[in-house]
Amino acid sequence: MDLRFAEGAIVRDDFFLVEIERFQGPLDLLLHLIRTQDIDVFDIPVARITDQFLKAIEGLDAEDLDSAGEFLETAATLIRIKAQMLLPREGDDEDEDPRAELVRRLLEYEQIREISQRMRTSEADRARRFSKGFIPARPKLLHQEMPLETTWADVFTAALGVEMPIPRQGLHRVTTRTISMHEKVALILDRLQDQSGIEFSRLLKGFGDTMHGVMTFLAGLELTRRRVLFLRQSQPFSELWLYRREEDKDEVSADLEVVEVDS
Amino acid sequence: MNTPQIVEAVLFASDAPLTPDEIARADERLDEDQVEEALQMLKAEYDDTQRAFHLTEIAEGYQILTRPEFAPYLERFDNVPRPNRLSGPSLETLAIIAYRQPIGRIEIEYIRGVNSSGVIRTLQDRSLIDIVGRGEGLGRPLLYGTTQRFQEHFGFASLDDLPRPDELPIILKDRMPLEEGEGNQEKEEIPEMPDPGDNLEEKQPDNSVDESAQDVVL
Repeated sequence: MDLRFAEGAIVRDDFFLVEIERFQGPLDLLLHLIRTQDIDVFDIPVARITDQFLKAIEGLDAEDLDSAGEFLETAATLIRIKAQMLLPREGDDEDEDPRAELVRRLLEYEQIREISQRMRTSEADRARRFSKGFIPARPKLLHQEMPLETTWADVFTAALGVEMPIPRQGLHRVTTRTISMHEKVALILDRLQDQSGIEFSRLLKGFGDTMHGVMTFLAGLELTRRRVLFLRQSQPFSELWLYRREEDKDEVSADLEVVEVDS
Repeated sequence: MNTPQIVEAVLFASDAPLTPDEIARADERLDEDQVEEALQMLKAEYDDTQRAFHLTEIAEGYQILTRPEFAPYLERFDNVPRPNRLSGPSLETLAIIAYRQPIGRIEIEYIRGVNSSGVIRTLQDRSLIDIVGRGEGLGRPLLYGTTQRFQEHFGFASLDDLPRPDELPIILKDRMPLEEGEGNQEKEEIPEMPDPGDNLEEKQPDNSVDESAQDVVL
């Protein structure tokens, strides 16, 4: 819709420049026009206000149909009232004042706005009173206050233990697992026949391939999951111990069947 | 343990307002009157001994809240729950609903002159208003009213704490506040208003929409 249909009809000395975006709606704008010009709200010069209103909404973003529509609707109301004011009124003048409903709406809106302002004050007052229900955060320990858990000797030892990986050459071959987890499960159970616990590293003795290590570890995890074993490690990177769970002994053989099926 | 102590314990442990009726549930031997009496004692005691908190009447109940003068100290903590301030449109809409409840969306929009469905939804999401019924007429529109949360947010002891229209500089002919507004019944006169006519009150809110739509024949 073209918002400039009223072009040329207006522009007067007493015209107030307004930014339409500042207003919450057409009533807000109308009130602004009336109040800033000290107009008696009960005797609104409709022609003048209508012109100003139309001029003000000229800059409206017609793309935004919703809010443009609201302003246009009020513009239409104003124009209708303006037209009605020109017509000779019949009968009881007072009852017929075409501005009455608009005036009532404006006053009502102004009152709502006044009430909103007071509610804003109440809201701010309330926000200054606190109920229970928050715990102040404990101050965080600063970094330098953290005890250093590693000595330089440890770091040095660790560095010596590092084996540089041999750079891979040529193609990477994908193979199927040559070592079955079942094999390793059997191995672990066998070694735990006559002792309650065993070191992980000892289970690897005699097997060179890293794959053996991986599969033994997986077997250990699997048996732990089945509550046959439990794993213990006293600190990170120390020896891993596998212990038999005494209470579940009976189920071991039954579980093994499943393991076989799985692998 | 005496009654004020029991009442104090219950209030202390609660982070929401409690009514005397609710507090009385703490002990079979308590009744509302005793609780009420204890509340007044506690209130006086907190005031006399200048505690940092006081017993506040809020949202039709009682709650222990810190005194406002301590706000600057509490606000220094990041994790103090800070109530969000409502936006202008939200406040405006809430004001309308508070005074006119139960009220439907169409009427709210007529008063504000702008579409309000988004604002209404936000207020509903924040539990400041709720659907309280359905109106007569086409489509049986949903009617909204304010909640207890609304009173908590503004620190009102009850809806009577809302600013009274007759205290405001602009005085509008009846219509607000609606409902059992005792003492508010004297009709306020609009000075030198060329009598808008009583029938205006009954006017369907969306009438003017149609009228104006017809009249855009320029």
